[in-house]
Amino acid sequence: MKGSILASDNAAIAAGEWHPAGSSRSVEARLIERAGEIAAVPVGGEKPLAGAGLSWVEISGRVGSIPRRVTFPDGSIFETWDNDGVDRYLAMRGKGGAGLVHWLEQFRLRLIVIVLLAFVLGGAVYRWGVPLLVEVAIATTPPIVPQLMAKGTLEALDQTTFSPTKLPDDRRKDIADGFARIAAQSPRGAGAYTLNFRDGGLIGPNAFALPDGTLVITDQLVTMAGGDTEMVVGVLAHEIGHVELEHSLRQFYRAAGMTGLIMLIAGDVGSAVEDVLVQGGGLLALSYSRSAEAEADRRSVELMAKAGYDPTAIARFFALLEEKLGDKSNTNILSTHPGTPQRKKDIIDYSRIISGQSDPDLQ
Amino acid sequence: MSFAESARPAGQAGGFHRIVFTGKASEYFGIWIVNVLLTIVTLGIYSAWAKVRRNRYFFGNTVLLGRSFEYHAKGLQILIGRLIVLGGFVVLNIIAALVPILVLLPTLVVLIALPWLVAKGLRFSARVTSYRNVRFDFVGGAGGAFKAFILGSLLAVITIGILTPLASRWVARYVGSNLRYGGKAFETDPKLGPLYKSWLLSFLIALVGLGIIALLVLMNLSLILPMIETPGLLTPEQQIPLIFSAVIGYIVLFATFGIAGLFYKAGVRNVTWSATTFDGQHQLMSDVSRTRYTWIAISNVIVTILTLGLMRPWAAVRMARYTWEHTGITFTGDVGELFNRIEAQGSAVGSEFMDFEGFDFGF
Ligand SMILES: [Zn+2]
Repeated sequence: MKGSILASDNAAIAAGEWHPAGSSRSVEARLIERAGEIAAVPVGGEKPLAGAGLSWVEISGRVGSIPRRVTFPDGSIFETWDNDGVDRYLAMRGKGGAGLVHWLEQFRLRLIVIVLLAFVLGGAVYRWGVPLLVEVAIATTPPIVPQLMAKGTLEALDQTTFSPTKLPDDRRKDIADGFARIAAQSPRGAGAYTLNFRDGGLIGPNAFALPDGTLVITDQLVTMAGGDTEMVVGVLAHEIGHVELEHSLRQFYRAAGMTGLIMLIAGDVGSAVEDVLVQGGGLLALSYSRSAEAEADRRSVELMAKAGYDPTAIARFFALLEEKLGDKSNTNILSTHPGTPQRKKDIIDYSRIISGQSDPDLQ
Repeated sequence: MSFAESARPAGQAGGFHRIVFTGKASEYFGIWIVNVLLTIVTLGIYSAWAKVRRNRYFFGNTVLLGRSFEYHAKGLQILIGRLIVLGGFVVLNIIAALVPILVLLPTLVVLIALPWLVAKGLRFSARVTSYRNVRFDFVGGAGGAFKAFILGSLLAVITIGILTPLASRWVARYVGSNLRYGGKAFETDPKLGPLYKSWLLSFLIALVGLGIIALLVLMNLSLILPMIETPGLLTPEQQIPLIFSAVIGYIVLFATFGIAGLFYKAGVRNVTWSATTFDGQHQLMSDVSRTRYTWIAISNVIVTILTLGLMRPWAAVRMARYTWEHTGITFTGDVGELFNRIEAQGSAVGSEFMDFEGFDFGF
């Protein structure tokens, strides 16, 4: 340390600069241990600028090779670039040297293990951690939350887009009776669902389920179906499937969880890469909602079969969609719904499987 | 350490001094990967401590006159700040869900609270930063933040970018002129002329991008028009060139607007820093090359993605080195004399423990 001659009871720790409390004025100094105390003494002097027992000074943790700060009880600080000197002293006094985190961080071969661990654990969190958190969140969500969500959504739609249904009473009764038959097959029981008829306005032919079991079907969809009540019931069975499997809550929590995780590592990946990740997450969410649609389709097949209807009734709906809207597109990664031809085929295949016939793909 | 010897005596005389960045990619790699690993393992909780280590590394390697900047925030403090903001947001959404009339409440509160959170975040960032044992401080309020950030971006958006330089000027004035160091003020007043000069080039680049997209649309007009009139008319084979063009258009849009944004960002940095003085006499300066800055930013993102994130530490260090080494300050008079006089001033000292981070805002 600059060759200064130290008294025998003075152990030199590091050379650096000392600042009075809250001042930018600096004095060239060295850090020494003397008579059980840690002290900053000016270069070429012996009278300490500040000093205290080791347990009374705060020594900043090591990060790379940035300067270390030693803060004395009087608020004055000693700053040094000599990290190794400080670490040697801390190790000697049984304070663990530079600490475990710094030991891990060093650019050594063992970092490869940490890199691999980060990749494996990152994949595990995505594959199992997020789904687990989603399940926990769903299990702890009180039933009042989906009820309120549904109430608000339906009120908002009624005020802005929907108007009261204009379907004749007997047509509505037909559909409601069919609906009661399949709802009774759901483990939640028929009481868990309420069916609402609305004039869809701008929304057009559509049916959807709110998370509390409120189902809405538009006049336009019923009209499009012509006299085919069974087909409309098939569509409603698909919506019951969404409610049973809690798709909307699950999707909401999943999106929130993924966004949260990306935001937490954002500082470590940079804002541009964060944007790319968010866009990628959006694509993954779309493919997730595609698998949710397929699940609801299969549930429709099961419920319809149990209630004694044609299990593939919903496939007729997709055929009708193709005809009316000209949807001949194949499954595409950017679309929310699987292409209708593919969905139709999957439904027919699945109905064969559950009715005991062999898997057509294995024939 | 050899660095201590070479760094410390660096020019105590006045005149022009550049900032030096001493961070190394290999050294930061270890810090970064351990941060990522621990953040994953703790499901994000560690990210607050990760941020502290990251900032301590970058601040501690940003060196002016042989002395580095320092970051003083504590992980627990950042975690509590985040929990407060998150908790407030959740409570607001629950209230909005319980009382459907208050559906717009969260949006309203966020709009009102955002400027306050931005001001709080800037103050936090300033107060946890020190140079030569003296903290920075930020005295801007919520009103100024509202004008600079919300009104400014609103104006920029509704004038399709034409008033962006005005917004940049407001931001620069708000951030720059409210910054304090040891009770002495920074003063920033970038002129609109130079801001518009650097804006013009970016505007032209964005126009070129829009031109290419218009050309793509024109080329496919014979396919797009019939698709709008009668959906479903196109065979999948006809759709392929359309999808191809859409993907190209998306990439062109991303690339040109990205380049335009980076060019502008670098230009604004130069204009703003070079229009800033400290204590009315010491002149700050930035001379980054817009082309070089843009190249570094874009190649950083590409390299980071191609290496699955593993080159991110290299990219971050590369960008920090480039920007800091093109930043400097011209001191009037004797530097030693100047720093003998600077003392910490009341409010900024120690009060950061009662502060919380608010809206994190890079400073
Ligand atoms: Zn569905």
